[in-house]
Amino acid sequence: MDGTTSSPPDSEAPKTDTARGGPRPFNARVDQFKRTWHLLRQNTLAMVGLGLLIFFVIVALGSFAYPGPSDSMTLYCGTYLSTATNCVHVCTYAAPELSPGAGCYLVSSLEKSLVPPTVSVSPLSIGPLPMGSLAIQPANGLFYNIATGLIKGAPWSLGISAAIVGSGALIGLLLGSVSGYQGGSTDEVIMRLTDIFLSIPGLLLVLVVLAVLQTTIGSHVSFLGRVGVLIAAFVVTWWPFYTRIVRGQALVVREQKFVEAARAGGARAGRILRKHILPNVTYPVMVQFSLDVGTVPLLLGVIVFLGFPIWPTTPFPEWGTLSAISVMDLETFVVDCAYPGISCIFPWWQILFPGLTVFLFAISVNFLADGLRDALDPRLRR
Amino acid sequence: MKLWVYIVRRVLLLIPVLIGVMTITFVLISAIPTEQRLASQFGVSKFGAGPYVLCSKFGFTSPNGSRFCPNPWYWNGVRELGLNQPLPVQWARYMYNLFTGQWGYTSAHSLLYLIAIPGGIPVLTVLSWYLPYTLELAALSLVMIWLMSFPIGNRAAVKRNRPFDQSARLLSFSGFALPTYLLGGGTLLLAVLATGGFTHICGGTATPWDLWYGLPPDPSGYACPPYNGVQPSWIGIYGQTSPTHFPTIDALIHGQPLIALDTIRRLLLPAFTVAFGSAAGILRFVRNSMLEVLSLDYIKHARALGVSESQVIRRHAGRNAFNVTLTVLGLTFAFFIAGFPVTEDIFGLRGIGLLFTYSVRPPFDFGVIFGTTIVFTIIVVVANIIVDILYAYLDPRVRLG
Repeated sequence: MDGTTSSPPDSEAPKTDTARGGPRPFNARVDQFKRTWHLLRQNTLAMVGLGLLIFFVIVALGSFAYPGPSDSMTLYCGTYLSTATNCVHVCTYAAPELSPGAGCYLVSSLEKSLVPPTVSVSPLSIGPLPMGSLAIQPANGLFYNIATGLIKGAPWSLGISAAIVGSGALIGLLLGSVSGYQGGSTDEVIMRLTDIFLSIPGLLLVLVVLAVLQTTIGSHVSFLGRVGVLIAAFVVTWWPFYTRIVRGQALVVREQKFVEAARAGGARAGRILRKHILPNVTYPVMVQFSLDVGTVPLLLGVIVFLGFPIWPTTPFPEWGTLSAISVMDLETFVVDCAYPGISCIFPWWQILFPGLTVFLFAISVNFLADGLRDALDPRLRR
Repeated sequence: MKLWVYIVRRVLLLIPVLIGVMTITFVLISAIPTEQRLASQFGVSKFGAGPYVLCSKFGFTSPNGSRFCPNPWYWNGVRELGLNQPLPVQWARYMYNLFTGQWGYTSAHSLLYLIAIPGGIPVLTVLSWYLPYTLELAALSLVMIWLMSFPIGNRAAVKRNRPFDQSARLLSFSGFALPTYLLGGGTLLLAVLATGGFTHICGGTATPWDLWYGLPPDPSGYACPPYNGVQPSWIGIYGQTSPTHFPTIDALIHGQPLIALDTIRRLLLPAFTVAFGSAAGILRFVRNSMLEVLSLDYIKHARALGVSESQVIRRHAGRNAFNVTLTVLGLTFAFFIAGFPVTEDIFGLRGIGLLFTYSVRPPFDFGVIFGTTIVFTIIVVVANIIVDILYAYLDPRVRLG
């Protein structure tokens, strides 16, 4: 966490005149990147994390080629009740407006259209599980295809996470570097503000802000607008962490010789911030960024689990949401099992697959962040 | 600096933070529509929520011949909250109300699920009923955090880069990556399966589920052995006969130690759920600080003097590592407390987390939402102060610096 990592490497003689406050030679940064990558490659866990992350990104990119609507889940008729007749029965129960025997249907966010029942396979049947059999039944009695949901959810999960944490980090970089470099009353005001925001538990602040925003403007904005509101509510809770990290780092960097030299050379505060402070505080921010990206789906899942209406339509393919509604559905299972005579099969698949996705995403970025921290902090590199 | 000077200074620093937090809630509450704001402050109105009502409906005489008359509840409320006045005045009134304990009223819906009480109860009263459960849970989970993070972290430092250390590392990563609802739900389900699954027990009156879900005062939980026939005798309407609202203490006051024990047993799983995430993080810090301490000279000195290895680790290194744990605990307290709503929801515990959970389901109960947020924040801030004071007590350098 100290500044030694981000100072220019001593072995590289600076090619431009640093006393004038000029930019650091590009070579030095490339070298540092190479060194970090070299160290990172020796860390098995970090490589596993990176591999998983790349896999998720590939899935997210590939999902656009996958058939089906991208902002809702395909309903699927196939449950832990195994036969086709049961399936029709359950679907009828789920949607009373449909006449019995009407079969299952597909719902996109725009249209509800009847389609003939798809093949229904028991998830507990022996042999390899067909993708379509991984169905979950959330509390509203509809059936979703887990595999489709997870694939279609990849770009949403990754995108929302990156947008939230990225905006938080950006605000943190701006405020933190100004606060750390300027000091004085600017620093005092910004730091007191972060103190206040940090003392409110994050999840509660997100929910309060979301509740207020939804009551005020929620019904007037489009779907993407609601996603924007969600991102904004998260950013409100996220910027103080980054501000604090960046400020701590900026305090260290501003005492270093090259900043002093730039100041002596007559560089203005804005230029020093842009050319010297900001490039040198990015590495700790990167570590924190990769840690936090993984927690966004977890938090979204928690919010959905608490019963807060984030999405305009419930069947929204986001990993956290998918995982949360599949656990909420367990209540039905518990109630069913309490009565003798009703067969209840524990729907392990609906807990396992979305949960595993959220877990693997979070743990992969954790591995990566841990590896990065080890590679960047020479004290831990033993 | 004397210790008490430090304490006073630290407590005084609490005031600006509290004012700041309340200002944030003021900004948020100012944004919601007036009708909802009035409802959260003054309770439900018999005239309806809007600014104008049909004159004929309530027998009002119209001031200007229109069919609509001003709604007295609405305009009195607007006057009383000063909503027609400039924002700084509104802010001052809001702060005054908060500091004098006027936190508004519950709306009918949010409490309906829990106990049969109507809306219109003062938020502060409801919070005082629900807070003790949460505090008891928090105390137990702090003990659990301690029991999990400290021994494992120490051992991981001693067995550095050995299989134990690696599995501790994996454990701490999964603590971050496992959603609370999966951990809590899984724990609950495992407990139910371990005590007999979903079969009926005690003559068909209950299932093992009832042994683990819910807290007293919930008489249904007492149908089964080993507590067969033991019923909390003091459960009254609105909890009037619970003197402290701490379930364990209430049971003891009423002379029913079996129920007190059962309460603690029921709190074990939720406490573990809440503690796991924080413990996983603190584990790493304990390990790293222990590693640093173990490389210091005084440890070598102690070893050279022939002190046994277990003594060195427990007596000499452990104490220093403890201080670090304390600081980290203070820093992660906000994170720790955020696990309460989900956990209390999963295990059916009547704490303020559950209160919050119900209040954020639509239609939102803003009185309770803001009330619980402020209380949670106060818990975090006070916990931080206690940690700081303990730290200053243990490490005199902090006071001097």
